[in-house]
Amino acid sequence: MANVLDLRRRIRSVKNTRQITKAMKMVAAAKLRRSQERAFAARPYARMISSVLASLVRRVDIYDQDTGEAKHPLLIARPEKRVTVVVVTGDKGFAGPFNANVLKATHRFIDEQSQLDVDLEIVGRKGIGVLRRSYSMASIAGDEHPAHISRTRTRQARVEITGEHGGMLDKLTFEKAAELAHTLVDRYATQETDAVYLVFNEFQSVIAQRIVVERILPIMEVGKPDIAGVTEMEREEREEMARAAHSAGVSLQAEDTSQADEEASKFGTAQVDYIYEQPPSELMGALLPRYISTQLYHAMLESVAAEQAARMTAMDAATNNASDMIDAYTLTMNRLRQAAITKEIIEIVSGAAAI
Amino acid sequence: MAESNSIRVRLVTPDKIFIDGTADSVSVPSCSGYLEVLYAHAPLLAELGPGEVTLHGGDVGDQQLFVSQGFVEVLPDRVTILAESAIPPGEIDVAAAREELELGHKMWNEAGEDSERFAKADRVIREAEERIAAAERAGKSA
Repeated sequence: MANVLDLRRRIRSVKNTRQITKAMKMVAAAKLRRSQERAFAARPYARMISSVLASLVRRVDIYDQDTGEAKHPLLIARPEKRVTVVVVTGDKGFAGPFNANVLKATHRFIDEQSQLDVDLEIVGRKGIGVLRRSYSMASIAGDEHPAHISRTRTRQARVEITGEHGGMLDKLTFEKAAELAHTLVDRYATQETDAVYLVFNEFQSVIAQRIVVERILPIMEVGKPDIAGVTEMEREEREEMARAAHSAGVSLQAEDTSQADEEASKFGTAQVDYIYEQPPSELMGALLPRYISTQLYHAMLESVAAEQAARMTAMDAATNNASDMIDAYTLTMNRLRQAAITKEIIEIVSGAAAI
Repeated sequence: MAESNSIRVRLVTPDKIFIDGTADSVSVPSCSGYLEVLYAHAPLLAELGPGEVTLHGGDVGDQQLFVSQGFVEVLPDRVTILAESAIPPGEIDVAAAREELELGHKMWNEAGEDSERFAKADRVIREAEERIAAAERAGKSA
C-alpha cells in the first residue's frame, strides 16, 4: 500500500493536470464563442446566394427545350460510378470523439458504397493521419493541373486519396474553401467524378450537432441540403455538452437570426422582372460554383465550431475526472494518516501500560 | 420613407455583413462596367466585376470599398451586393496585386489554344490591374 508521501505526490501531479485541462477548456470555450460568431456571420451570404440562385433557376429555362437536358453541367446528374468524398476533420486532437466520429461515418459510407470508386479529399490533419493508414495516395503521373487528374492517373485501389488539406482550418478563409470547391467543380464538370459528398460535423448550437453526409454535387435542388446520412448526437453526449457549456459560460441557445435570415432569403427573389445585365445562363454559370464554395465554407466553419465544442466537453470531463481522483486520493491519504496516528497512540498507550 | 430618395445598401461577404445602411447613390462595378444606382432604379441583377463600390450621402457617409467576384441585385429601394471579398482601397496589398498580375500574364502566355484558360487568365489580370489602380487612386486622395 502506498504511503502518505506517495499519495501526496500523486495528488499534486493530478492537480497540475487538472489545471491544464481546465485552461484548455476555457481556451476551447473562448474559441467556440468566436467560431460560433463566425458561423452565424457567414449565414446571410449563404442564404442570399441560395435564394438568388433558386429564383434564377425558377425563371431561367435550365433545361433545354428540345433535348430536355440540363444546360449547366453542375445540374446534370449522372449514374454514380466514381464519387468524391470530402472529409472535414480537425487539425488537432484532444477533442473527445470528434475526429473519430467523422471518420467512423466516412468508413461507413465507403463500406456502404462498395460498388463505387471513391476519391478522398481530406481536410484536417487528424483525418489525414488516420485515413492514410487505410488508403493509399492516388498515383498521378507528373504534376499536371490537380483538377484534371484522370488523364494521367491509374487507379490502383477502389479507394484512393486524391487530396490532403492540412492546416487550413486554423485560420479559415473563404478563398481557401473556394479553391477546394473550384477543384471539385472542375472535376465534376469534366466528368472525372460523378458525385461529390461532404462528411462533416454540423453545428446548429452547442447541444444540437450531428454528423452529416451531404451530397453537394450534382445540385439537385437549390437551398435544400441533399442529405445521404446522419448520425445524431447521443442524449448522454448532449447532456455532457450542456453541462460543459454551462460551466464555461457559453450560451446554449443559438442566436436568433430568424429575422436576418428572412431578410436574406428575400435577396434576388422579388416578384419583378429583372433586367439581367448578363445573359441569365451566364449568371447561372457564375453562381453555381460560388454556391458550392459557400456550402463548403459553411460546412468548414460549422465543423470548426463543433470541434471546439467537443474539445470543451472533453476537457470539462477530464477536469471533473481529475477532481474525483483528487478526492479519492485525499480520502485514502487521510485514512492512512489516521491509521498511522492510531497505531502510534496504541503503541504509546500499551508502552505506558507495560511500565 | 417614401419621399426620401435614399436607398438601402447592403454589402455582404462570406464573413460578415460589411455595410448595412442607406445612401443617396451607389456606384457598383458590374462585370461589363460601372453602374450608378439612384432611387427607383429598375430591378436588375448583374455579376460583379472587380472594382470599387462607392456610396454617396446617406447615414453611412461617403465610403469606398474594393470588391471582387460576386453579384449585385438592384431593386427600386435597395441595393444588395454579394461579394467574395471587400476591403477599403487604402488597405490593398499592392505588392501582392503585382505578383497576381505577373501570374496572370504567365497564365496568358501559357494558355495556348485553350479559350477557357484565356478567360481565366484575363480575369486574373483584370482583377490585379483594378486592384492596383484602386490602391493608387486611394494613395493620391489620401
